[in-house]
Amino acid sequence: MTQEIQNKLSAFITGEILKQPDRKLGPEEALISGGLIDSFSLVDLALFVEETFGVKVDDTELNAQTFDNLNQLAALIQSRQ
Amino acid sequence: MSESMRFLRNVLGKATLLFVAVNLLFATTDPLSFLGNLSLYNGPIPGRQRIPFGEEPDKAYNLSLNSLEAMFASHELTAGAKPVDEFRVILIGDSSVWGFLLENQDTLSAQLNSADLTTPAGHSVRFYNLGYPTISLTKDLLIIDEAMRYQPDLIIWLVTLESMPHNKQTFTPLVQHNPGRVRALIAEYGLSIDPANPDFKDLTFLQKTLWGQRRPLADLLRLQLYGFAWGATGIDQYIPAAYTERANDLPLVTEYYDLEPDFTADAIAFDVLDAGIARAGDVPLLLVNEPMFIADGANSDIRYNFFYPKWAYNRYLVLMAEQAAVNGWLYADVWQAVSNDEYTNSAIHLTPAGEVQLAAKLLELIHPLLNP
Amino acid sequence: MTLIQISTFVALSLLARVFGSRLPRRWTLLTISVLAVFWLQPASPIRNLDFWLPLLTISIAAAAWAVTLPAGTRPARRDGIAGFFVLGLALAVALTRYIPALCCLTPSRPPETLPLLLGMGIFFGVVWLVGRGFARQPWTLHARVLAVIFLFIILKSEPLAQLTAAGLRGLMGQDPTLAQPTDLRWLGFSYLAFRLLHTLRDRLSGRLPALYLDEFLTYAVFFPSLTAGPIDRVERFQKDLQTEFQLDAIRFLEAGERLAQGLFMKFVLGDALALFALNPANAAQVSTTGWAWLLLYAYALRLFFDFAGYTHMAIGLGLLFGIRLPENFNRPYLQPNLTAFWNGWHMTLTNWLRAYVFNPFTRALRARKWSIAPIILLGQLLTMLLVGLWHGITLNFAIWGLWHGLGLFTHNRWADFAKGRLNVSPQLAAISGALLTFHFVALGWVWFALPDPGLAGRVLRLLAGGAP
Repeated sequence: MTQEIQNKLSAFITGEILKQPDRKLGPEEALISGGLIDSFSLVDLALFVEETFGVKVDDTELNAQTFDNLNQLAALIQSRQ
Repeated sequence: MSESMRFLRNVLGKATLLFVAVNLLFATTDPLSFLGNLSLYNGPIPGRQRIPFGEEPDKAYNLSLNSLEAMFASHELTAGAKPVDEFRVILIGDSSVWGFLLENQDTLSAQLNSADLTTPAGHSVRFYNLGYPTISLTKDLLIIDEAMRYQPDLIIWLVTLESMPHNKQTFTPLVQHNPGRVRALIAEYGLSIDPANPDFKDLTFLQKTLWGQRRPLADLLRLQLYGFAWGATGIDQYIPAAYTERANDLPLVTEYYDLEPDFTADAIAFDVLDAGIARAGDVPLLLVNEPMFIADGANSDIRYNFFYPKWAYNRYLVLMAEQAAVNGWLYADVWQAVSNDEYTNSAIHLTPAGEVQLAAKLLELIHPLLNP
Repeated sequence: MTLIQISTFVALSLLARVFGSRLPRRWTLLTISVLAVFWLQPASPIRNLDFWLPLLTISIAAAAWAVTLPAGTRPARRDGIAGFFVLGLALAVALTRYIPALCCLTPSRPPETLPLLLGMGIFFGVVWLVGRGFARQPWTLHARVLAVIFLFIILKSEPLAQLTAAGLRGLMGQDPTLAQPTDLRWLGFSYLAFRLLHTLRDRLSGRLPALYLDEFLTYAVFFPSLTAGPIDRVERFQKDLQTEFQLDAIRFLEAGERLAQGLFMKFVLGDALALFALNPANAAQVSTTGWAWLLLYAYALRLFFDFAGYTHMAIGLGLLFGIRLPENFNRPYLQPNLTAFWNGWHMTLTNWLRAYVFNPFTRALRARKWSIAPIILLGQLLTMLLVGLWHGITLNFAIWGLWHGLGLFTHNRWADFAKGRLNVSPQLAAISGALLTFHFVALGWVWFALPDPGLAGRVLRLLAGGAP
């Protein structure tokens, strides 16, 4: 289950945000603090999560303190499903 | 006791020990005069054209301090070795020489420099402003003493009676905070100043520690930091747009310090003048009685101006002339050389035009002295 | 904060350590924070204003708490105790007027009894009405948001502040023609406003945790972050507040390290650089390109050391009392691009604006299927304009904000374009990027430092090598 969520997230981030579909994202790789995802793309990511998993991610949660890698984001999604 | 508690105790213990050790070291080695010689001026920062002095540092980019070493190290006089083709003239005196309310380009030394003099031997004459606000011959003597290290070829010393009363000699902070140097001068030249005068600020052991000397140390640092602002702006004095003019109406006061009518030479500090001339040694020293404003308002029948009742100043003029003749001084009395409307906020501070007039007079006087 | 004030807070933390077992920490923190609001407030030439402004700070925070109570709940006994306790503290501060030995915690003598009781009655009544009478309708929350923004605009706009100061002077029987915008120096209001807006907004979106009055007040006016931030989030603050805490050697050392760092950065480096950092006076006096750059570099570094030093001290003081305030700086001048700079400069303010302005704005336009570039351009311009105006509602801060908004947009588009196309060594990219970013930021500071855009233009011409 977690793996499936992570795969979907990873595919969206590498394909739509980074535009590098061949790139592999580690589950602990720092997405926000590492500068991979900018503030604009974060909103896109939130919209994607809402459409795909039916989970609301608030505007105030789009920061590295709430989630900074695939593991944390997947856990957040699961906790709200 | 836990590991971290022990660590905390060690940190605090070592910090205290280090603090005490550094303070003791500072008090025993007294490194302040050495530190005063370290300077960014005449390097990354251009040297100052007059000795640092400033009552409003944040506006003037300048400050008053008591370290002669630091004051000289920040001055353009001390930039590198003296050029071989330079005929070096230093100007000594009070705030009128320093240039109170005047930009550097308008001071007496700047006006003299603009004459572009050359000696008969082809050396270019360069004037340096070593005036320093506060009126005291002993303060001037201190500056001459330090300036001799920089090989002047001629010294011009502007004085006035106000710098000569005995009890004014230890009045200025620069003298009070350099007791060691002043006492050495007292001993060498037999000055009548009491070496035990309570005005001298001798430091206790605690005051000599790093903690006790934090203020003078901070001053050294601030002098360097303000140097960047001076370098960037060329400003070393806050000149207000408006100032109170020198008084023309004078109080009805006839006393002048503790002087009696017909006072004699030993009633004022001629010994310090002698010492200054002796300190100059072979270097010619031109003594100048500086110009002053002459009031025509209330009580101007008994007083010349804010500083002087007529009787005292007249007597001083006589004594100066006598002493100069007896001792063979190079002496010029130019007290009326500047027209009366060229004074600013004090009876001795000149406008730029006033400095031009004074410079013209001095140039005549120094022409015969330009032979190295 | 001055050195004396900082030392006092450190001493208080040690006292709290000694008496900690008998005095619950939340009451200690509430007491110190409320008293500090009065103590840290700078003097104002308007009579008694340095008492009324702190009281207003506390009242506004209390009123914000009252409207954010969850629907259907009534204040608990603990809230009542906290309310009367704080009221008692304020009264005690006022009564020092009559005890010469203790007078005064405020910079000038507090008001006399009659105006005091009248004023406190009004403040208390308003808070009570807000909380009780017609509370917890969504429109009261919106009204509160607008009220805080309105106050903010008055304080940050010079003409309005001047007008208000004149009105207050008239009210106090003083000469209104002498009014200055600086009369209204309301300590910490910019930060307080953003903390309150955050709680009100989160209450509207249903994300605000339940908070007791004492927790809310301590969060809003927590003394280490009162004067210069950082802007914490209340749910994070509450977690720290509810965690058992005792000051031990490890925490003391960590706090001491942060305090030492902060003191050195602010009082040694920052204050030293301030002696020749760019300011309106020397900006008009400097006349060569090289020296103008030096003044600007000094300003850039001074601003960082001053502000980051302050943050270190705030965090250090917080740690002494068991509150880990959020970081506000992360080596901003060493970051390889402007986006990364803003992730490391005044982070709590930018995070705030991202959460409450940029993200909702972007989300709304995204839902309307706008294309990417215009959304980013508008979003960045709007956010950075607000960052600018937060410092003061003036032209120069607006220009500064737009400068950064355009910079962020440009970097975003460039990064998008350069993805996979550029082939330079990462080290070279990082170093040249950092240099470029620092100079872009430094040029922006010219607008920030100089209120007069004409003067800023003069300096920029000089910096570019032109004649002044």
